[in-house]
Amino acid sequence: MTAAPPAIARPDAPAPAPAPGRRDTRARRRRRRRENLPLYIAISPFYLLFAVFGLFPILFSIVLSFTDWDGMGEISFVGLAQYQFLVTDDRFWNAVGNTFIIWILSTVPMLFLAMAIAFLLHQNIRFTPLYRVAFFLPNVTSMVAMAIVFGSVFSDTFGLVNSAMTALGLDAVPWLSSPWGIKITIAAMVIWRFTGYNAIIYLAGLQSIPTDLYDAARVDGASLLQVFFRITIPLMRPIILFTVITSTIGGLSLFTEPQVLLGDGGGAGEAGMTIVLYQYNQAFTQFDFGYGSAIAWALFLIAAVFAIINWRLVSGRGDGPARRPRARKDSRR
Amino acid sequence: MLGAAGLMPLAAAGCGSPETISEDPSELVMWYWNRSASPELLDQASSAIPGTDKHVRADVIGTNFDTKLRTSLAGKAYIPDITYINSNNALYFTNEDLFLDLDELGADAVKSDFYEWKWELGITPKGRFCFFPLDIGPTGFFYRQDVFEDAGLPSSPEDVSAAITTWEDWIALGAELKDSAGSFLVNDAQNIFEGYLNSSPERYFDTDDNALYLEDGSAVRRAWDVTITAIEAGLTAKIPRDRGTDQNAAWSSGRTAGNIGAAWWTQILAESAPDTEGSWRIASQPVRAGNNGGSFAALPHTCKDPEAALAFLTWINSPSNQALAYEDVQLFPSTPDSFTDLSYSGTFFGDQDPLDFFSTAAETVPTSFISAWETMIGGSFTFEIANVETTGKDPDQAWADALSQAERVLTKRGVEV
Repeated sequence: MTAAPPAIARPDAPAPAPAPGRRDTRARRRRRRRENLPLYIAISPFYLLFAVFGLFPILFSIVLSFTDWDGMGEISFVGLAQYQFLVTDDRFWNAVGNTFIIWILSTVPMLFLAMAIAFLLHQNIRFTPLYRVAFFLPNVTSMVAMAIVFGSVFSDTFGLVNSAMTALGLDAVPWLSSPWGIKITIAAMVIWRFTGYNAIIYLAGLQSIPTDLYDAARVDGASLLQVFFRITIPLMRPIILFTVITSTIGGLSLFTEPQVLLGDGGGAGEAGMTIVLYQYNQAFTQFDFGYGSAIAWALFLIAAVFAIINWRLVSGRGDGPARRPRARKDSRR
Repeated sequence: MLGAAGLMPLAAAGCGSPETISEDPSELVMWYWNRSASPELLDQASSAIPGTDKHVRADVIGTNFDTKLRTSLAGKAYIPDITYINSNNALYFTNEDLFLDLDELGADAVKSDFYEWKWELGITPKGRFCFFPLDIGPTGFFYRQDVFEDAGLPSSPEDVSAAITTWEDWIALGAELKDSAGSFLVNDAQNIFEGYLNSSPERYFDTDDNALYLEDGSAVRRAWDVTITAIEAGLTAKIPRDRGTDQNAAWSSGRTAGNIGAAWWTQILAESAPDTEGSWRIASQPVRAGNNGGSFAALPHTCKDPEAALAFLTWINSPSNQALAYEDVQLFPSTPDSFTDLSYSGTFFGDQDPLDFFSTAAETVPTSFISAWETMIGGSFTFEIANVETTGKDPDQAWADALSQAERVLTKRGVEV
């Protein structure tokens, strides 16, 4: 038995050639490099821009978080002082608490609403494309214009909501000056903006469920509720997880809504101060770049914990990642 | 990562980027923001600064002015030759070496043209004169004459001024206003706290970094007490300033009938509450007028031609040119002589002349010192004032929290108090 052919050969593998010389390999490598060069050049703008505007600032913010710097003078190294300050900073923990409360207040109703809307849009109704556009529209609306509208609607003394409530015989709520009012208003802005976005994703998921499953269930005599909970929800699980993940990312980095609604200070009692808004506040209104960077990395740690939890949730059952839809990344932030 | 934005200049440092913006040796680049200089005068300076062979290229820097200026200074690249700086010039005291001492260039020669207190605000703790006076913001008590009249209160500017010579009298007047007209004296408590401090010769620190606010009976504490009294009497409408729409609605409807405002507020008010034309008047605020706002100009250490740059600053801020700038973009002059050339013709304040009022008020503004540290801790106090006002926090607890927060921030920034 001499020179037995390899048991498993790739079908497209070239016939084994006589052992190539060193010069051959180098030439081939050079040729391949030349062939691939246009491809590398074609994709380089992203990596160059990312290196300059993404990677460098990220790495530099690690350095800055160990320094005290006002943005123009000397950068002085202070070791872990910024982080020591951070763990005992009530304002930071208040911001963490606010962020999570607003996240829960917005994400839970938003995803339920989105599912309901998607379910309705999935029915055979007229003008479905129109509805889809209508529900998605808030997602592309200018945030500043939206903040003005919400500010007027929820205004304590002159707002539409309070006028309606007093007309109905209820007490007016200080939406923009009480701790819970502020959080609910911000959550309402988030819900208004992202429900349609999530509904569209759910709709795509609903449409990918084969109809023969429903037919079979109907033949077996399943009720509508059973169909929904035994077929729709289990098959939608990866998609629901996807929206939970994007909502978590968006919720943790919540900034624009409170900033345009309440200004850099986060409103009365800092009830609308989120982590990212606090970071912005420290870095760009207090010019404390060292502390701002430390907050950024604290947020990174919190986000990492959530990423791990999400990852566990998804990979735990095995069927998750494979079916994750290739939806556009959430553009919130 | 948002915190990392704006740190790019370090990459540019040392990479051979030019320090100044323009390569033309006869062109001085100036940074300013909209309506901080008269376009007509800038146009003249763009051909030549009078008395020199240099000219000015004025670039409007939009939002985040301070961040952009810091960025260029930190990166040591593309630094303007002349820069305007807002009333937060104290933010730059810790890096005053980045700016030229204008006295060394002979700025003294025009010192007597300006209100002395404004000139003093441009002097750093080390005694260097780095910040040249532009406009000012003398303050007064704006009020709705119609609401005051209906409430049976004094209503002419003279009578109101006479009735509120002390803060206690002012609060008493506010209580009467509340009782008989149901209107608030001001929109938010911060307006009182800052209105008090802005008219006080003493603020948070002195030039030797002594923490005056910690002493018994300090101006900060007195401002705090007056503000708390007003909050407890229910004289504030609890509408913070970041909700401008609500504030305007309150003033337009008469729900709030007053405001301690600076000269520049006359125009804002006329634009935001046009329906109230003729209803507003301005009275002297308790004790004496203060100053709120007003900008400065500085020459970064890289300035191509400091003499010509200073010549530009003295020219554009001469009494006659400041009068022109007032007519052009309503910058309130920092030179008393400007007012001889000016007259007011509007009717928003009825027969009252706000120009006359504020130029008189400007004479009484005290000389004070705003410390760089104040810019770091002032927010702790206004934050706690807002807590007392809107969430009903216990004032003693709020004061203690403001002090401890201030101390923490100062310690972190390396300031011993």
